[in-house]
Amino acid sequence: MKPVLESTRREPRKHLPFMAMLQLSSVILLACLDFSAPAYAKVDGPTIRLFPTTVVEDLRLTSSVAKEMETGLQEVIGRLDQQQQLYQESKCEGAEEDPGCQRMAKQLGATYLEMLGIMEERLPDMEHTVNNTRLSLEKRLRSELGNKMTPWMLQETLIGGSPQGQPAAAPKLRGRSGMRLSERFKQYYQLVSSSGSQSDQSLAVLAADVYLDMDETSVLIARTREEIARATLMEQLNQSFGIVTPEMMEVVGGVKSILFGDTGSNIQIAGPPPGQIEQAYRSPLEN
Amino acid sequence: MNTVKIDFRLAGIAGVALIAAFISACTTTTPMCESPKTSNLDAAVADVQDSLLNGCEAHYDQYFDDLLTIAEGDPKPENKRAFSEFLVWSNDQGLLSRRQAERHYNRYFNVKFMALEGDYNNCSHTCPRRDRVYRDMERELSDKERGLLKVAMDTESYYQANELFQEVELVLEATCTACSANQAR
Repeated sequence: MKPVLESTRREPRKHLPFMAMLQLSSVILLACLDFSAPAYAKVDGPTIRLFPTTVVEDLRLTSSVAKEMETGLQEVIGRLDQQQQLYQESKCEGAEEDPGCQRMAKQLGATYLEMLGIMEERLPDMEHTVNNTRLSLEKRLRSELGNKMTPWMLQETLIGGSPQGQPAAAPKLRGRSGMRLSERFKQYYQLVSSSGSQSDQSLAVLAADVYLDMDETSVLIARTREEIARATLMEQLNQSFGIVTPEMMEVVGGVKSILFGDTGSNIQIAGPPPGQIEQAYRSPLEN
Repeated sequence: MNTVKIDFRLAGIAGVALIAAFISACTTTTPMCESPKTSNLDAAVADVQDSLLNGCEAHYDQYFDDLLTIAEGDPKPENKRAFSEFLVWSNDQGLLSRRQAERHYNRYFNVKFMALEGDYNNCSHTCPRRDRVYRDMERELSDKERGLLKVAMDTESYYQANELFQEVELVLEATCTACSANQAR
């Protein structure tokens, strides 16, 4: 019989170019978060130091750079939204030859180019700060969990000091799929800002989650920068014909849904059924 | 003439000895080592203990599996104790070492994973064989499902083990990525 709960082993991602851009855009929502909480380590004598002040500072910087990008994009995306609405209300789809529709398509394309331009301008800073955060966390993980711990110690850290049947207060971050990056970052903030009360096992999971996200984001930024160059060239060509391409609409739609919210994808994972109360027996053979 | 008589006598004695040896071989039967027939766990444990003390120790793993199957027919938290006591008895009788007894018990009835035993650090030891560790943990999780869930009805501990498995997977993925990044540089 298979385990009742499915493992959260990550599926390989489909690296569609526009998806890269969408995911990156969600990082922008870091801007909405204020990483001002200085205490990332346990107050009463932490045994593992995964969030020292350098990592906190890197996270704060990443959020502030992302905020700048988000501010710039919000206005452009708002304009794109209006232009797209006008284009649809004017029934231009299927009437591309119409001079009025061509004009609207060119305006839409120009705004789209503007959005790509903002991303292109801000991405190098973003890349730099995300990489710094990633490298800081990487160093901590390697030293605290990789070199100072055996697999058994790691397991004991994760399971914590709680007796069997009494789950520890762990972050509600199980699994890295099925949730938007923006939502995860929001959770990171909430968890990190209250990390004074977090136990080591929670911090280890949190650090692993943030690090893997940052690692993935780094790759996405690099890929997005390449993609922007290609998309810009394509749109510049399209401008001469006044065409609204499906790819363009897809990218804009995706960025909007991530930036301005799409609660439908906030998947709630069911908790386990109530367990047995009688668990007093402890074998002398138990480790 | 006398020589022939002596030879006959000797052949007779040898024949009798052979027949005696044959009869004695028939009376020392090899143990049957059958699985316990009862569906009562305590009675089954007693049967198994009897068999193990009477030449069936080579069938230990099969007996342990039989006992688990019988316990699945009447799942309850007290079954944990029955298995623990059986394993401690096995250790006392010299059938299992203390370590083997612990491994058996913890593999089926503890949240922690025996697959994560190891004396060396994660970067040097666990990461290079991470896939094997996951596979071993997966197998162990299904044994825990049998022991904790189906035998001992300890749902909560089983879910804890399942959650621990997922957390170990996540944290090891990050840690090993960090370890390999250092090696790449």
